[in-house]
Amino acid sequence: MVEESAQPSAPEDPLLQRLRDKFGEAVVSTHSYRGDRTAIIDRGSLVATCEWLRDDPQNQFDMLMDVTAVDYLGRRPRFEVVYHLYSIEKNHRARIKVALEEDDVKVASVVSVWSGANWLEREAWDLYGIQFDGHPELKRIYLYEEFEGHPLRKDYPKEKRQPLIGPGAPEGAADGGESSS
Amino acid sequence: MAEQEQSTAEESTDRLEIPFEPLEMKLGPSHPATHGTVRLNLRLDGETVVTAEVEVGFLHRGFEKECESGLYYQAFPYTDRLNYVSPMINNVGYALACEKLFDVEAPERCQYLRVLASEASRIADHLTCMGACALELGAFTAFLYAVEARESAWDILDAMCGARVTCNYVRIGGVASDVGPEFAALVREKLAEVARLHKDFEDLLLANPIFRDRMEGTGILPKDELVALGVTGPLLRAAGVPLDLRRVDPYLVYDRMDFDVPIGESGDNMDRFLVRCEEVRQSARMVEQCLVDLPEGPVDLDDPRVRLPAKGQVFSRMEQLISQFKLVTEGPRPPVGEVYQAVEGGNGELGFYLVSDGTGKPYKCRARSPSFSNTQAMPPMVEGGMLADVIPTFDMVNMIGGECDR
Amino acid sequence: MASRVVKVDREALAKAAGPFSVRAIMVGLRVTSRHFFRNLWGWIIGKPTIATVMYPEEDVVKPPAFRGMPVLVEMDNGKERCVACGLCEWACPVDCIHIVPDETEDAIERYPQLFDIDMGRCMYCGLCEEACPEEAIVMSDRVEIAAFSREGTLWHKDDLLVPVDRLARRLEYVRRSYER
Ligand code: SF4
Ligand code: SF4
Repeated sequence: MVEESAQPSAPEDPLLQRLRDKFGEAVVSTHSYRGDRTAIIDRGSLVATCEWLRDDPQNQFDMLMDVTAVDYLGRRPRFEVVYHLYSIEKNHRARIKVALEEDDVKVASVVSVWSGANWLEREAWDLYGIQFDGHPELKRIYLYEEFEGHPLRKDYPKEKRQPLIGPGAPEGAADGGESSS
Repeated sequence: MAEQEQSTAEESTDRLEIPFEPLEMKLGPSHPATHGTVRLNLRLDGETVVTAEVEVGFLHRGFEKECESGLYYQAFPYTDRLNYVSPMINNVGYALACEKLFDVEAPERCQYLRVLASEASRIADHLTCMGACALELGAFTAFLYAVEARESAWDILDAMCGARVTCNYVRIGGVASDVGPEFAALVREKLAEVARLHKDFEDLLLANPIFRDRMEGTGILPKDELVALGVTGPLLRAAGVPLDLRRVDPYLVYDRMDFDVPIGESGDNMDRFLVRCEEVRQSARMVEQCLVDLPEGPVDLDDPRVRLPAKGQVFSRMEQLISQFKLVTEGPRPPVGEVYQAVEGGNGELGFYLVSDGTGKPYKCRARSPSFSNTQAMPPMVEGGMLADVIPTFDMVNMIGGECDR
Repeated sequence: MASRVVKVDREALAKAAGPFSVRAIMVGLRVTSRHFFRNLWGWIIGKPTIATVMYPEEDVVKPPAFRGMPVLVEMDNGKERCVACGLCEWACPVDCIHIVPDETEDAIERYPQLFDIDMGRCMYCGLCEEACPEEAIVMSDRVEIAAFSREGTLWHKDDLLVPVDRLARRLEYVRRSYER
């Protein structure tokens, strides 16, 4: 199986080309794999890039479909935050990624660009522990506030149990931190 | 003296002002007027909603973590449990994402069967949503008709895969089993049943003054806000944006289907309801077309990399037996890469984002669920409206707990 | 592209209701009474038209594709067909199968000494059936797993064995569907 993603596609996609022309150094790398165009953006210029992607008449990415993260444990940089964009007008898609180091998992929030990023970023914070600077209300969304750790990180064991909380929890369970297996 | 007078005058105006203290109301997590496990924290001024906040996560089961710890084919049963009202669409979406990653394509007959299954699921999804809406607005009879019709739609799925809700029907490069010769007749019978009950359901509700009063003009959000919030599906189409992935970005054999995409104008709850009503009919049309056009041929890809070999050969031939063992224990191995594939789910764009590191397990399996983004758009829809309007809006947002919380 | 975008018709609704919604009310009454008399007539002539099934006195008609709980096929000689290869154990997404293999002097020398399925976890997905290279585990039409204790939902080999002739319908279906 040849690794297609490794070799840069020779005739570059016009959208990625424009992105490169516009932002130059801030675009770390680009590739297309199975028709999905992807650009890895430097952390500092994420918001500017997103604004351009949304507003430029040739892009018109008016919808932020998804924000998630990937944990490449043991690789540097460890985290990637992934944004999937879609344009209703142009009917095209793009994927934007930002790489983050383990000891500094901070990236600017894009809530100001797409208001729909609010919950999606809260989810990424909840499950991966990515901190979004400038998010209006960054708190857990699926799990409860007392939950320790971020379960979708690769170093969080699947079988780990957290103590029960709330009324009816066994005595002393809240400070126990017992874990099975 | 004058000073004193002034101060008493001030006091009296103070007293005349009615003190305003918002009432906090918590709706849910289990409330008879909401389907799905969700909590709405409302702050009310009288009967007007001042602020609304939605709390989700009561049904979080770690879908992504589970998928990452199993092989690619083992995630299929879990995808059933995302949107449990239209499980087939989830199956199809996940299978398409896998196929994009593996760079294979299912045979034609399989693609038609997948479309058929998706559309039958969509009928069930919309009927459940509309029926529950009717129920929560007090129309119990209409709810029963809708649910009976949904059962008929599920009978179609039952005949295909042997389960009504937990389908686990689609596989990478194929489907679990072909349909039998008696299938077409059964589907036609069930579709007739759906059409009959759906007609009665519409007759009962659409002209009904109480129902219309509660649906019309409630839960409106402007088009551009919906787009910015990432809302898709019937909700967005009701606001007049003809975004339907089956039309704008056809996958499977949707480009050969003849169907209408209904859109609304004002984007109130009535439009959302009507869009869903029409989509039920269009889906039924597509099921019909699939039955007519269903080509002969294999339903499974003959590719030992992804699909299990035929059972008869496993019994008798060594090579196939080894292949069976390898595929079951190691699973199909995709190349290194990442893909995102979206399909039109019952509530909007259902996307799967897969990252592969070359092993048999997905390194990351992410489901972009339409309910999640749609539910996010709920607070601005209900704020400033009446408390009673929260219920129809919530029904039309159609938050499915399994899909929203994963 | 044969799909079109159409606008839903809302004007018709107000018209359908008629003045003071009289027509809407009449239509509603007509629909519900039609259902009532249809069901009543069905009950009188003994051909019920209602969807309700009086379980457990009656049971639903299960299609051949029906996936109930997985059971083991018992051959005519009273032994299981399973050779304890462990593929179903691998394939099961929720790890609810537990097998301890052993060997005998028979023609088929491997057999499962222990074969437990935790029915409390099993989700009837059918992946074990698909994985089995011997047609030894199939989905039956049994669905009743209720037990008085958690141990009661753990089914052992003896509970799981079903004679091959009682599984004929499913085996035929399995053969057809996995034959490709
Ligand atoms: S039906 Fe599914 S869950 Fe049950 S034992 Fe078989 S593989 Fe496991
Ligand atoms: S896969 Fe079949 S033969 Fe192998 S252990 Fe399971 S039931 Fe027995």
